[in-house]
Amino acid sequence: MIILEYSNRIIEDTLNARFNPENKPKPIEMSFVDFDGVSYHLSTLEGQDTKLLLSIRWKCWPELVSYGANDVLQREYGPWITSPESGYDFSLQFDLENLGADPEELIKKVGLLKRNAMAAPYERAFDAQAMAEKEENWDPSSSQLMAVHYRDGEAVYIQHQQDRVTVIFSTLFKEETDRIFAKVFFHEFAEVRKKSIFSHCPQVLYSNREPPLEIRYVPGLLDSESQGYVTFVLFPRNYIPGAVREETISRIQIYRDYLHYHLKCSKAYMHSRMRARVSEFLKVLNRAKPEDNSGEKKLASGRTFRRS
Amino acid sequence: MSRLAPVVIDNGTGFTKMGFAGNNDPSFIQPTVIATNPTTSNQSSNLAAKRGAEDLDFYIGDEAVANSKTYALNYPIRHGQIDNWDHMERYWEQSIFKYLRCEPEDHSFLLTEPPLNPPENRENTAEIMFESFNVQGLYIAVQAVLALAASWTSSKVSEQTLTGTVIDSGDGVTHVIPVAEGYVIGSSIKSVPIAGRDLTSFVQNLLRERGENMIPAEDSMTVAQRIKEQYSYVCPDIVKEFQKYEQEGDRYFKTYEGVHSVTGQPYTVDVGFERFLAPEIFFNPEIASSDYLTPLPEVVDTVVQTSPIDVRRGLYKNIVLSGGSTMFENFGKRLQRDIKRIADTRLRRSEVLSGGRMQSTPMEVNVISHKKQRYAVWFGGSLLASTGEFHSYCHTKAEYDEVGPSIARHNRVFGTVG
Amino acid sequence: MSNTLRPYLGAVRQTLTAAMCLENFSSQVAERHNKPEVETSTSKEVLLNPVIISRNDKEKVLIETSVNSLRISIAIKQADESERILAHKFTRFLTQRAESFVILRRKPIEGYDISFLITNAHTEQMYKHKLVDFIIQFMEEVDKEISEMKLSLNARLRAVSEAYLAGFN
Repeated sequence: MIILEYSNRIIEDTLNARFNPENKPKPIEMSFVDFDGVSYHLSTLEGQDTKLLLSIRWKCWPELVSYGANDVLQREYGPWITSPESGYDFSLQFDLENLGADPEELIKKVGLLKRNAMAAPYERAFDAQAMAEKEENWDPSSSQLMAVHYRDGEAVYIQHQQDRVTVIFSTLFKEETDRIFAKVFFHEFAEVRKKSIFSHCPQVLYSNREPPLEIRYVPGLLDSESQGYVTFVLFPRNYIPGAVREETISRIQIYRDYLHYHLKCSKAYMHSRMRARVSEFLKVLNRAKPEDNSGEKKLASGRTFRRS
Repeated sequence: MSRLAPVVIDNGTGFTKMGFAGNNDPSFIQPTVIATNPTTSNQSSNLAAKRGAEDLDFYIGDEAVANSKTYALNYPIRHGQIDNWDHMERYWEQSIFKYLRCEPEDHSFLLTEPPLNPPENRENTAEIMFESFNVQGLYIAVQAVLALAASWTSSKVSEQTLTGTVIDSGDGVTHVIPVAEGYVIGSSIKSVPIAGRDLTSFVQNLLRERGENMIPAEDSMTVAQRIKEQYSYVCPDIVKEFQKYEQEGDRYFKTYEGVHSVTGQPYTVDVGFERFLAPEIFFNPEIASSDYLTPLPEVVDTVVQTSPIDVRRGLYKNIVLSGGSTMFENFGKRLQRDIKRIADTRLRRSEVLSGGRMQSTPMEVNVISHKKQRYAVWFGGSLLASTGEFHSYCHTKAEYDEVGPSIARHNRVFGTVG
Repeated sequence: MSNTLRPYLGAVRQTLTAAMCLENFSSQVAERHNKPEVETSTSKEVLLNPVIISRNDKEKVLIETSVNSLRISIAIKQADESERILAHKFTRFLTQRAESFVILRRKPIEGYDISFLITNAHTEQMYKHKLVDFIIQFMEEVDKEISEMKLSLNARLRAVSEAYLAGFN
């Protein structure tokens, strides 16, 4: 698996099992998580096994709401929204006896709950850029820098200019190994991007410790070696409304997790190489030992015995 | 920093149960199998592969089985212990990032180990978890102790004790493990080579001998497995059971309906004596094969008798079942009856030998069944990891960086002093 | 650069073969103890002159000998940051498995990346010329392995980047 999946497996599997008319309704109570510190809670209402409640809690929810997340969620999940469960930011309720026209489609959408919530600032930036393009004298200072602090020490900043949208991830590498591997990764990324077949893809820039110009003035930026900044520059051709836009939003969102996932896979790969090497070394070393004269002797009948 | 729920992963020889602490059921129960691409992995060792990320081309669990025609299946765990570390590392990689979807840096992990696991294996596990995945904390628990903790939810248990005999019967092998005060008495562990897989092949043989040739050859194992899981039960007496089947055939004979995987044709299979004969192998192994002849109750009794004398009563009193192959109806009752019979016979004999002078208190034999038996180990892990003190028992990344993997050699057992 | 490799390894081999004349020697300091003298280094008369063989200022080998033991410390070539990290990880992996390696020391000497300790017990159990072969092969293989790891790391990350960008269509 090279590209991480966009939707949450546990949600999909559980809802698939529950929505299946062959399965009797039974009480459920489970908590699980998703990348970036998202917590979910899936339960059946007290005494009503046919009503499922799915709640999500995310540190940056208020920020997302201020960037229009509620509109996006209304659009995607309208009939299912219910008042948030206590301790959580947002809830959906499903009635197993009344699942609407297309339960499979619904399950897919619900699996993308986190992605859809996060899509709000992106969509806002894309639309704003499309409008700004048409203006004659567009004032750069009117562009709002949207910041979403979805993890401790890490955030994503989205801003639109007249002809493009810039997305900046600030990410934290706790280990030096990760940092150095990440540097290699970005170097390769830049090399790959130069190839002509990828020229329509977003431009990617990386800087370690130094924040990019666009966000230099933002207060509270951590200044340390372990901080890295990745900038994506998206042009209108990358987010044409429709399938292209949806795909772009999904892909950009999982970027941080994708990066860390591959850093870990690379470390695992190094481990397997090292294991192979170690066994080779041991083989060579064992050649240094003379052959084992354990004193086992064999009889004509095939039996072995050991002479003490 | 808000603490996210710890992740509990129980890797067994047949199945892996994974999920988050605090839940009652694991989120995923998947076979412990990894399907690798035979073309790329056969190149002269991975040392030569410079092309790209082929090592990421693999599937685990159910998807691996689904792709078994084009990919090569590998079972990284044998007899409960991890055999192939490369495969195991990749298995964990995909379970964490694809299925559980958690960032390992934010979580503590609880993993399980089989009895008599060498400390080097624990060190290797710690190395992989801390170095590759950067987990926050790690705790490696003994499966038997977790099974005991899981039994505390049963209504039969009056006090929460960590002394008991754990009968862990999974897919590959059955272990009988005595635990005293949370410590496994390693020298008394006995393993019984009868487990889920053997029962399934026995059912398969019986069906074949009876001439159920409706079942397509490639599905016969899966069909046998499903029949075993759906219809089998333990009877108190084989002879009487045979008579019951002769007299009231309609009540006892069942039919299984299946669909041919390739052609899509439905077919039916009659299910009869194998319903009670399959689990009977535990109690009378000679009906399946002549290699192994000791019935399970006798093994349990031997285990208790070889344990130190002061814990024996506790071991009889708290016999805990865990694992999928203990889920048969009436398994616990039959086992309790048979073990009690053996213990009582011994007590009576010693009374006779002493000339009637020594009377001993009758031995209390209790076999605890509970609803979470199927994944008792996982459930015990979930219970443990949701206690407040769990984080203090874990080995943290800071400790690992400071000392090295040798911190994993010893795992503190919960609830004990110090 | 590779034209200095053969003489370098040749010099190391000669020195090792000469140094590996070890015999059993009980401790002069503590009764009934038998310790590798190069580690305890209490008595001056049982220690021989240490020798450093360097190919350049980054790569060198330190050979310290005594009457019953021999310590070889190797500094591995680390040209850039990622090689440094890979070498560090690799030596850590190896030292973690020092028990199965028998002659490997769990901690390298200051200033070097990895150390071996060979005692008279080892030379009694294993052929000396094969031990020397092993050390020389080890030195070659480690350098090769680090550069291969670096290349494969780059290739992997490149493949991964391509896969990511390919989705932006």
